[in-house]
Amino acid sequence: MPEKAKEAQAGMEARWYRTLGSKIWYFFNSLKLTLFVLISLAVVSIFGTVVEQNAPVEQYVTQYGEQWTKYILYTRLNDMYHAWWFLAFLAALALNIIVCTFERFPPKWKSLLDHKPEKKFDSGLIDKFSHRETVTLNASSDAVKDRLLKFFKKKKYGVVSMGTKGDYYFYAWKGRIGRLGSDVTHISLLLILAGAIVGSYAGYKDFFAVNVGGTVSVPQAEFKLRLDKFWIDYYDSGQIKQYNSVLTVVEDGKDVMEKQIWVNEPLFYKGIRFYQSSYGQSWNRIQEAQISMKLKGKEGLEAPVTVKWGELTSLPGSKYSVKLVGYTGDFAYDEDTNTVFSKSAEATNPAIKVEVYDGGKEVSTPWLFVKYPGIFPAIPNSDTDLVFTGYIPVMYSGISVNKDPGTNIVWLGTSVMGLGFILAFFVYHRRIWVHVRETGKSTEVKMGGTINKNNFVFEKELKDITESLTSD
Amino acid sequence: MILSLVFFTFSFVFYILTTALYLGYWVFKKKWLGQTATAMAFVALMSTSMILISRAGESGHAPFSNLWESMMLFVWATNAGYLLMEYKHKFRSIGIVVMALESLAMLSALMLPYRFKSVEPLNPALQNKWHWMTDLLSTWGLEKYAIGWLDFHVFTTFIGYAGFAISFGLSILYLIKEKSEEKSQRSSLVESFPPARTLDELSYRAIAWGFPFLAVGIVSGAVWANYAWGTYWSWDPKETWSLITWFIYAAYLHARVTRGWRGKRAAYISIAGFLAVIFLYWGVSFVLPGLHAYAS
Repeated sequence: MPEKAKEAQAGMEARWYRTLGSKIWYFFNSLKLTLFVLISLAVVSIFGTVVEQNAPVEQYVTQYGEQWTKYILYTRLNDMYHAWWFLAFLAALALNIIVCTFERFPPKWKSLLDHKPEKKFDSGLIDKFSHRETVTLNASSDAVKDRLLKFFKKKKYGVVSMGTKGDYYFYAWKGRIGRLGSDVTHISLLLILAGAIVGSYAGYKDFFAVNVGGTVSVPQAEFKLRLDKFWIDYYDSGQIKQYNSVLTVVEDGKDVMEKQIWVNEPLFYKGIRFYQSSYGQSWNRIQEAQISMKLKGKEGLEAPVTVKWGELTSLPGSKYSVKLVGYTGDFAYDEDTNTVFSKSAEATNPAIKVEVYDGGKEVSTPWLFVKYPGIFPAIPNSDTDLVFTGYIPVMYSGISVNKDPGTNIVWLGTSVMGLGFILAFFVYHRRIWVHVRETGKSTEVKMGGTINKNNFVFEKELKDITESLTSD
Repeated sequence: MILSLVFFTFSFVFYILTTALYLGYWVFKKKWLGQTATAMAFVALMSTSMILISRAGESGHAPFSNLWESMMLFVWATNAGYLLMEYKHKFRSIGIVVMALESLAMLSALMLPYRFKSVEPLNPALQNKWHWMTDLLSTWGLEKYAIGWLDFHVFTTFIGYAGFAISFGLSILYLIKEKSEEKSQRSSLVESFPPARTLDELSYRAIAWGFPFLAVGIVSGAVWANYAWGTYWSWDPKETWSLITWFIYAAYLHARVTRGWRGKRAAYISIAGFLAVIFLYWGVSFVLPGLHAYAS
């Protein structure tokens, strides 16, 4: 077949997607890309620390004006680290790492396994190294050989000896595994990234506030959680030392585990972690309320009566008894649904709901307000009114929930990273070539070699060899 | 409280003396001046250690919890790192830049308002001790000496900073030396510095220590955050800036592999990197809000 026809055929075979594929591959197999992406990431990340993230739009308008706010929203600078273009940079870095590892690791591995010279090398090779020494000794080549091998053995080098008496060649090596440091580190970064991705897709985050004594069911799990206790520890100076909650895991109606948690000490059960993250006064529950009677035609209030939550309490000196059944911290009423709710978690407008009994008969279920005593008569057609004067709150504990199946991968990645750094920065691959040649009475030793990093160490090593050869 | 500030005053004087001695050695090139300078640097190191130890005794926890304490750790780590380097490579003339940096750091610590220096109890978020260590030490009743993620995270990060500070000093020397080598000017002051190639290599070695330690510092912070709050990373300004710094030094290391990026360009990246460190350390604390804002 003529040359041109062959070329044409080859062109047909090299289909567009193959060339495109290899173009993309080579684009990502580039150290220049690495530098570009790293420096770009460093520069663009700064914007996100200057422009406040995830603030309300009005804030950007007051701070930067309308025109700039438009640009900020358009470029997603307000949520930069989740913007597509920022993630694209991260993805480019990840692809860059993957492609470079695939491209460089196998040949490196092969050359590391297959590194020994097969036959004796050309002595001219040594002259090409920037690290080299030549010494002439008044000793036989065999004596030099012994000393050399002793030195290499002491320093834990691997050695191959070649050549014959009077004309020896040596190749010595150490720390080959250090070459893999960069690959191990890169793989560890990918592992950590993978762990984070697994965690964000397969796991979930949640938050709930539990009243002391209350129980909540845990999402995506077969168990419930009960808050037994919540308290705050203080330093002598009055500063807060720690927030504590005692949690009990309830599974199939049985208490299976109890643990005191605090900030920095979560509860871990069946792959889910529970963190102490906030606290406060409950907005829908109190321990007890103080209720006083106001009698018609009489100035002032009667002595207050303590009414515990859910317990029928009789009011002394009257025919009534009350039961505390409801509480709301920031009272609000929705007319459409005819329901009462708390506008916020703060006790801004505390109100209680009581059931009032006359003998065994329920006569009314009024809401009573601390701030607005007597706004509505508590008991219709009666000379007695009820006034809500005070209460003891129930604390709630805010618990963050996190299920993160990626944690173990991240841990693995972290350990691999440690190993990678040790290999990459502190294990040096040294290779030394030595030619020992006996010329009459004296012996000439020519040596040289390479180290993949830390030239100081290597220069010293060559000096040490010279010293060990010259001194007896 | 008093004792650590007394040691601080002593150390401050020691660092100024050390700097003066290295300066004298650089100008007059007398061997005994150099030896005295090294000895004085060692005295300063011991004195800085005493600041940290006495502060730990006063506060009852490792002294890594406010800006002043962390400055002392930075000064300590930089000095220790420098002395190790001097011992290993025997280049005494570079001491002048490192010790000048140390004196500056001590001066800025001195000028901090009192509220950044005082002994503070740890707030709830910072109280962390490793269980295994507490358990192990409790066998001998020493559990109060157990350390945790806070100590590990801060300590590794600051070894990183120290490496970068040394590399920064060396990079500046490199640029000076390189310029005079290029013009082949003969100046006896620049002459006493090691050759530019050596400075470049030393600067790289300092980053080769700083970079993995900063990485371990960042990762341990993330692991701790996940343990304590359930989130690895929340892009708080300190986190972001630490990543920015890490990217810059990662660029430095990758640039060195490429031909033509050694020497001058590498020195510029190293200087940019240290400026990022300064902003990460001081700028973020004072300017940008967040969990790590000691100054709030």
